Amino acid sequence: MKLKKYFALTRCGILESLQFRASLLVMFAGNLVYLTVVYFLWKSIYASSGTNSVNGMTFHDTLIYLVLATALFNFMEMYAVWEIGRNIQTGKIVLDLLKPIKYRSYLFWSYSGSFVVNFFTTFLPTFITVCIVTSSAVPLGINLLYFALSIVPAVIINYSIDFIVGTICLYTESIWGINIMKQVIVMLFSGATIPIAFFPETLKNIVNYLPFTSIYNTPLSILLNGNPQNANILTMLGIQVIWCIALLIVSSVFWKISLRQITVNGG
Amino acid sequence: MKKKGINFYLHIYFKILAQDIKSKMSYRADFIISTIGMIFTNIAGFVSFWILFRNFPSINGWSYYEMMFLYGFSLISITPVQCLFDNNWNLRMYVYSGDFIKYCFRPINLFFYYQSEIFDIKGLGQLAFGLATMVYAWTKIGLACTPLIILKTIIFLITASLIMIAVMNAAAATCFWITNSFFVMDLALKFRDYAKYPITIFSPVFRFIFTFIIPVAFIAYYPSLVILRPDNIPVLSWISPAFGCLFFWLSYKLWMHGATKYSGTGS
Repeated sequence: MKLKKYFALTRCGILESLQFRASLLVMFAGNLVYLTVVYFLWKSIYASSGTNSVNGMTFHDTLIYLVLATALFNFMEMYAVWEIGRNIQTGKIVLDLLKPIKYRSYLFWSYSGSFVVNFFTTFLPTFITVCIVTSSAVPLGINLLYFALSIVPAVIINYSIDFIVGTICLYTESIWGINIMKQVIVMLFSGATIPIAFFPETLKNIVNYLPFTSIYNTPLSILLNGNPQNANILTMLGIQVIWCIALLIVSSVFWKISLRQITVNGG
Repeated sequence: MKKKGINFYLHIYFKILAQDIKSKMSYRADFIISTIGMIFTNIAGFVSFWILFRNFPSINGWSYYEMMFLYGFSLISITPVQCLFDNNWNLRMYVYSGDFIKYCFRPINLFFYYQSEIFDIKGLGQLAFGLATMVYAWTKIGLACTPLIILKTIIFLITASLIMIAVMNAAAATCFWITNSFFVMDLALKFRDYAKYPITIFSPVFRFIFTFIIPVAFIAYYPSLVILRPDNIPVLSWISPAFGCLFFWLSYKLWMHGATKYSGTGS
């Protein structure tokens, strides 16, 4: 059984995140405050603009988009760059490299447990809340299935980007700066802070050629679209899958090349 | 024991500062990358601000340049906490590992010694960015530029920054009780992002919360009203310096209370 060893890591991850119940609670409270701010900010923005729909998005659309983007962020974010960076600095990475499992899979699967926990503690409650608050402006139909499908490549793309950036840390031995740059770029260009629909044309065109929109914008646009055209959905999912494969290859090749470079302090 | 004067503390501060800068300079690449990362963060923040206002010319009676002023003001007032109190982020690690005990044995103020150990130069880039934004908005709005106004601006900037310092101190101090204060600090850090919005966008309940319970409105909104809307200044703006000092003192007391309760790990 090949998958068995991975699921063992998932189980450990679940137990580990459940151990830190206080931080789950604080994260929940933090989300609540954030969502309040987002709600009032956009409400007054739409109130001042005088129209119901800006760039094809109504107030409810924007709210659902941003709220679920945050929920997705909490659910997908693994802080893998931090982990890799810390492992490099402390030298623990040597022990992980010696394990009879690929480092990349090891890291991914040891985080998978927190995926499961975060899904039930943050994403699902937020989703239900947002459905109630916006009086079911979220279309509940076949789009939910497509949404679930598009989350899978989104998670992998997000992780691959993290892993590539983490590999850069092997060379620089600097974590904070690299990580903050990655986070800023991903958050802005993926549409997690402002929906892509609000971007100016040129910027929108540029962003469409980058992998970041596949992380947040694609799943969320799919979710918000009540009557999906099959061709449309297929292109979106197709782009996601292509990015997913491309980034998987890049991250694994880059890691292999970089491993020859590695210098570990003690350990 | 004789109380030590401010001269003594200043002297010590610069001695420690010199050591810190020396040690930072030995990791030059990390320093440069971190600085670039910080600049990235500021640019991305500004870009999202710009994208938002391209779509909406005003929010709740606040024009583009007034919002920009608020944005610059909040950036400047969070600089001191970034530069001078960055060691708060390490507090949980010191407490957890037991290294914190070393600070308890010094014959100077514990809080002072702990905070003076790190000076974060990256924050200066943020200061420059904030200043440029504020000056640009200042000239665009056509505000007068008399010595009195500049003096007012400086005083209100300083007191506003005390609020943010107080918030971070209090958040860091929680680690004396709950060990892992990272999530609390991360949450507190998010508050600074909300500081750049006018408090009037919120409903009365949240206006109350953001004024008296989580004092984010004092980081930029109330103090900047003194400069932006001189005809109609609410009482809260005038007493914001007092609030700044009060919150700082409270956070100091909380921090010290936690520190004196600290019993070490026995190692």
